[in-house]
Amino acid sequence: MIELKNVTKTYEVRKGESVHAIENVNLAIGEGELVVLKGASGSGKSTVLSLVAALSKPTSGEVLVDGKQISKLSDDFASLYRRENIGFIFQRYNLLPNLSVEENILLPLIPSNPDSKEIGVRLEEVMERFHIAHKRHQKAKNLSGGEQQRVAIARANINMPKIILADEPTANLDANLSRHFIEMLGELKSANTTIIVATHDPLFFGLSFVDREIEIHKGTILV
Amino acid sequence: MKINFYLIEFAINSLLRQRAKNFFIFFVLSLLIFVLASFFFVASSIKHELQTTLSALPEITIQKLRGGRHVDIDTSAVDKILQIHGVSDAVARVWGYYHFENAGVTFSLVGIDAYEMQYKESLQTIAESFSLEEGKPSMVVGAGLYEVFTQNGYEEYFNFLLPQGGMKQIAVAGVFDGATSLESNDMAVLPKEAAREIFEMPSTKATDIVVKVANPEELPTVAAKLRLLFPDARVITKEDLEVSYQNIFDYKSGVFLVLFLVTLLTFFMIIYDKTNALESEEKKEIGILKALGWRVDDVLQEKFYESFLISFFAYLTGIASALAFVYVANAPLLRGVFEGYSMLRTPFELPFVFDLQTLSLVFFLTVPLYVGAILFPSWRVATLDADEVIR
Repeated sequence: MIELKNVTKTYEVRKGESVHAIENVNLAIGEGELVVLKGASGSGKSTVLSLVAALSKPTSGEVLVDGKQISKLSDDFASLYRRENIGFIFQRYNLLPNLSVEENILLPLIPSNPDSKEIGVRLEEVMERFHIAHKRHQKAKNLSGGEQQRVAIARANINMPKIILADEPTANLDANLSRHFIEMLGELKSANTTIIVATHDPLFFGLSFVDREIEIHKGTILV
Repeated sequence: MKINFYLIEFAINSLLRQRAKNFFIFFVLSLLIFVLASFFFVASSIKHELQTTLSALPEITIQKLRGGRHVDIDTSAVDKILQIHGVSDAVARVWGYYHFENAGVTFSLVGIDAYEMQYKESLQTIAESFSLEEGKPSMVVGAGLYEVFTQNGYEEYFNFLLPQGGMKQIAVAGVFDGATSLESNDMAVLPKEAAREIFEMPSTKATDIVVKVANPEELPTVAAKLRLLFPDARVITKEDLEVSYQNIFDYKSGVFLVLFLVTLLTFFMIIYDKTNALESEEKKEIGILKALGWRVDDVLQEKFYESFLISFFAYLTGIASALAFVYVANAPLLRGVFEGYSMLRTPFELPFVFDLQTLSLVFFLTVPLYVGAILFPSWRVATLDADEVIR
């Protein structure tokens, strides 16, 4: 389902000076798989997620999802691709602080102008599922870290994505909340969603429902 | 195309989230639109009024000059003028200004002879409608002037101070409706003899002579002949007056407009500059929206709604305030820009002139400029890699 073929991503840090975030990465992830990308900070995990989400383009190589080369998509099509296929849970949640819980969750649906009934049902469903319905009218900035995390997960699921990408999802959570998040991931996995988690949190290692753990070191995958 | 109300709702909420900043922009923009629209409304009204006045002007006016100053002309010149081919009529006018010290008002006095052919349609109507010659001398006054009279206790007559001393009492025979006319509002029409007495002008003299030319094509030729006949006089054609009035008006309005447009441009440059250096929070918001599947179009559409809502409501507020300011409050202060010192001080209501062109001009000078000043910087951020913006 997801394939990275000889993918290299280079960032220019200064004029004439660049660094390879990842280099010649080859990776294949099947439908419904839950994969943990592990590695130290700056190893290139987030870059892999960014490429799969078509948030950035590889310097060389190909990124394919369901056989489509998403690395060649124009900016508009890349947005459409994300809207229809991707649920992204960011490290710092990336909620809009002055919007309410409901408004934040609905953000990915707004551009597609959905039917109001459909949107209502879907919203209730995700809020119940991720235990945030009781905070629906609260502004995101007034929520605790764990609640913000649940809003971020609900938002990532509102468009019923095929792929969920989570970038250091427990970096700002305590151990209890992190375990709770892992339980929720397990639920998502059971719904046959493909999940890639980029983390260096040991709580994710050795979990029974994780299909694979892939280690990245200095931009390359360790076999 | 189905309207995306979610996007509009998002835009409204977005405006409300930064209500202090947006209210300030709305207020400043409304104020600028108000000033711009008021200026155009006053200009249109006065121009319309001026046009009405100018169209009623005599075709040729002859004024005697001495030392470069306008002095009374001999009425005997009328006979010489009537002998010129092409001249259909010549009337010696007796008119002038009278300063009413108590009210601090200067108004026009126009003398007419009821049996004479009047050089202006409005005067003809007055001559036919009111009897100024029967019994004691009487006059017909403009509505504005009558208001000044009544405020000063002169409801039935007015006492004119004569140059040689003493007073001349003239009864008010009627009031003509001149509420919307620059010229007639401040005017009193009375018999020529009474006017001569007030101005201390002998019957052999007149203020000036107006000439009617039957064929407008012959106007330049007749004017040239008159200049030859009266080398010491100023021969003014209607066209000269029109150009002169227009020049004064355009100069005044032009200076004001240039100053104002510079202010408006500065405002948009500040807005553009401010938006161009979007705060990191705003940039991040666009990045997040892009990461969540919003296309550049969606971001721009949302920004369009935001900027359009704020600028369009500012436009409506500015226009509504300008209409009230100009046509209800009669444009205090701003009217002075056009009127100048020579304007008579009697009340004068600006006539309402509905000018779609003016409304469109104000709209296009403000709303699209503001929308553009917001959209362009947002577009620049929205076209960056979302990943780069979020990081």
